[in-house]
Amino acid sequence: MHSMLSHAILILLLPLASAALIAFFLRQRGAVASYLSTGTAGAIAAISIILLQHGERFEASVEWLRFGSFTLSLGIKYDDLAALMLFIVGFVGFLIHLFSLGYMHDDSARARFFGGLSIFMFSMIGIVLANNLFMIFIFWELVGFSSWLLINHYHQKQSAADASKKAFIVNRVGDFGFLLGIVWCYWANGTVNFTELGQLGETHGLVFSTAIPLLLFCGAMGKSAQMPLQVWLPDAMEGPTPVSALIHAATMVAAGIFMLCRINVLMVADALTVIMWVGTVTALYAALCAIVQRDIKKVLAYSTLSQLGYMVAAFGLGSLTFKHEMGGAVHEMAIAAGVGAAMFHLTTHAFFKALMFLGSGSVIHGCHHEQDIFKMGGLAKKMPVTFATFTIGVLAIIGFPFLAGFFSKDAILYLAMEKNTAVFAVLALTAVLTSFYMVRLWKITFLGVSRSEDASHAHESGLVMTLPLIILAVLSIIGATGWFGLGLYPKLAGSIAELIPEAHGSAHTTIFAVSLAVMTIGAGSALFFYKTAADDTLEVKAGGLFRLLTGLKESFDKVYDYYVAKVQQRFAMLVYFLEKFVLEGAIIGGGSGLVGLVGRGIRALYTGSLHTYVYWFLLGAVVLWAFAAGLLH
Amino acid sequence: MMPLLANVYGLPSYLLVASLLFAIGFFGVLLRKNTLVIYMCLELMLLASTLALVAFSKFNGTLDGNVFVFFVLTIAAAEVAVGLAIIVALFRQRHTVQVEELNHLKH
Repeated sequence: MHSMLSHAILILLLPLASAALIAFFLRQRGAVASYLSTGTAGAIAAISIILLQHGERFEASVEWLRFGSFTLSLGIKYDDLAALMLFIVGFVGFLIHLFSLGYMHDDSARARFFGGLSIFMFSMIGIVLANNLFMIFIFWELVGFSSWLLINHYHQKQSAADASKKAFIVNRVGDFGFLLGIVWCYWANGTVNFTELGQLGETHGLVFSTAIPLLLFCGAMGKSAQMPLQVWLPDAMEGPTPVSALIHAATMVAAGIFMLCRINVLMVADALTVIMWVGTVTALYAALCAIVQRDIKKVLAYSTLSQLGYMVAAFGLGSLTFKHEMGGAVHEMAIAAGVGAAMFHLTTHAFFKALMFLGSGSVIHGCHHEQDIFKMGGLAKKMPVTFATFTIGVLAIIGFPFLAGFFSKDAILYLAMEKNTAVFAVLALTAVLTSFYMVRLWKITFLGVSRSEDASHAHESGLVMTLPLIILAVLSIIGATGWFGLGLYPKLAGSIAELIPEAHGSAHTTIFAVSLAVMTIGAGSALFFYKTAADDTLEVKAGGLFRLLTGLKESFDKVYDYYVAKVQQRFAMLVYFLEKFVLEGAIIGGGSGLVGLVGRGIRALYTGSLHTYVYWFLLGAVVLWAFAAGLLH
Repeated sequence: MMPLLANVYGLPSYLLVASLLFAIGFFGVLLRKNTLVIYMCLELMLLASTLALVAFSKFNGTLDGNVFVFFVLTIAAAEVAVGLAIIVALFRQRHTVQVEELNHLKH
């Protein structure tokens, strides 16, 4: 027990130590910093596996601050959920660190980059291990900071600087709701500790309110980039590609889903319905946007958004039977199915999306930082390892039978089919679109002939970059079969694995047929429709549709731009005017002006001539005399 | 004028002298430029008032005014010492005692 707790504390503090060392001593020594950071990530991965092997679950906390009856504590809760998430963060994180060694080798600010990665690992592990909402919030903000730092890595580029600010500010909007939700939860239940909340739920002592889970969901909406706060994630692709893989695909953006699973005991049916629809709409919207992207990373970013929408929808689908069933136990189980499906997809998605991002990083690296897929082409022969692994990633995400994405997506589709037909239809359509845009990306990037100078001189990346690709490709293949077949996951995910909804009998056949059909339709039409040309076939053949989708993609940014420029800016000007003229001008300026005027008048009395003073003295004496004599009454 | 001149040795004549002395001192303070002279005029005003006190004491037949004068003189002696010391210090510092040049506390 104690040794495992010290392991957990070690895993939390190691990356912090690494980040501090890099920040204070190794800023000019990129090579040392990169090895230190990667070594730390390796140690994290190793310790997370040791913790898994040991199989123990524990919780411990210390009091941190006390204000009267209000206490803040820092604690570690290592349960099934944390074990699974910690493994993903540690293992995928390590592979991405390894990849970064190669990808960032020639970067002049390597030390800052690896320091940022370490501080991110610290923050993310803090979220995973936190045992109460306040602690989650602290680390939540820290991941926001490290995300800002890493998106802004190429800070001399204006677009990167803008993107980092946008990510931070949009996240703040969500975090505002999150904080309100935490405070409300504390106010209503008297605790924000997950274990205590769970116990209250079991004894029916929990205050159920629709507002609390929805406010907390605002935090997830920001971090997991759900509608309408999704705008920051595509822009965040300005960061280096390993950052996109680690933070904006595999781990940080999944923190929102993780947090929802943590607070599932607070959920009520109405809140879950809202969450389900937000996820569903995000999934469809992002899939539509992904079709018209030219930038390889932007396609993957919208794909990430879409898959996050899938997870959120899966979580929201969990409890819809609650209305028809009686008793708290059913309520619990129904949500749990959502937790199982969401965490399952989170796991497999972390593997194949990290794989594809790293693959795109390898492509970008090979093509001398060209990111436009229409300027690539013919990379299959030039970069065989990247091509093979990327293909596995694509097959995994489109749900090719018996690859990772197939099982997790089916679990979600099955849940949707059982609970809500409308959601099922939208998610199935999204799956068609997913296959469509992924195959489009794959075909245009890798097949055909090279369409630019950079692409024709492309070369395969070194082993330090291809090795993580190979490992992730293997995980993308077996990452889900393990849940059922190899008996690996009961140890990894414990009870979470048992929560995954699994179709049986005729439902199984239906789901299998549906998922095969959507994959074939999407992939087949993309394969036939797109030509490996320098222009987007959709733009050439159906310009109207193309513009419609582009407009759809830009609509949110336009609305926000309009809001910021026209509404908020004008309101700010009004407030500025009030402050400048009424508060500063009239009240403060008027007061000081009056005092100044009086001072100026009185100052005029000080002529520097003694004789004037004598006259004033005389006048004063006369006034005093008159007063004493009663003349002034 | 007549009654005043008729009782030339009476109380009013003493008060007249005292008033004249006071007026001389007062106008000296108002009009002169030299700090030392102004200071002497101040002393003159003070002594004019003590003269009036002595006269009142004599014509009222009480000792109150005389006692008062003793105290005033004692205090005045101390005050003269301090005042002259200030003027001497001022002169050493500024090399002048003309009031129109001692105007550094002007606005």
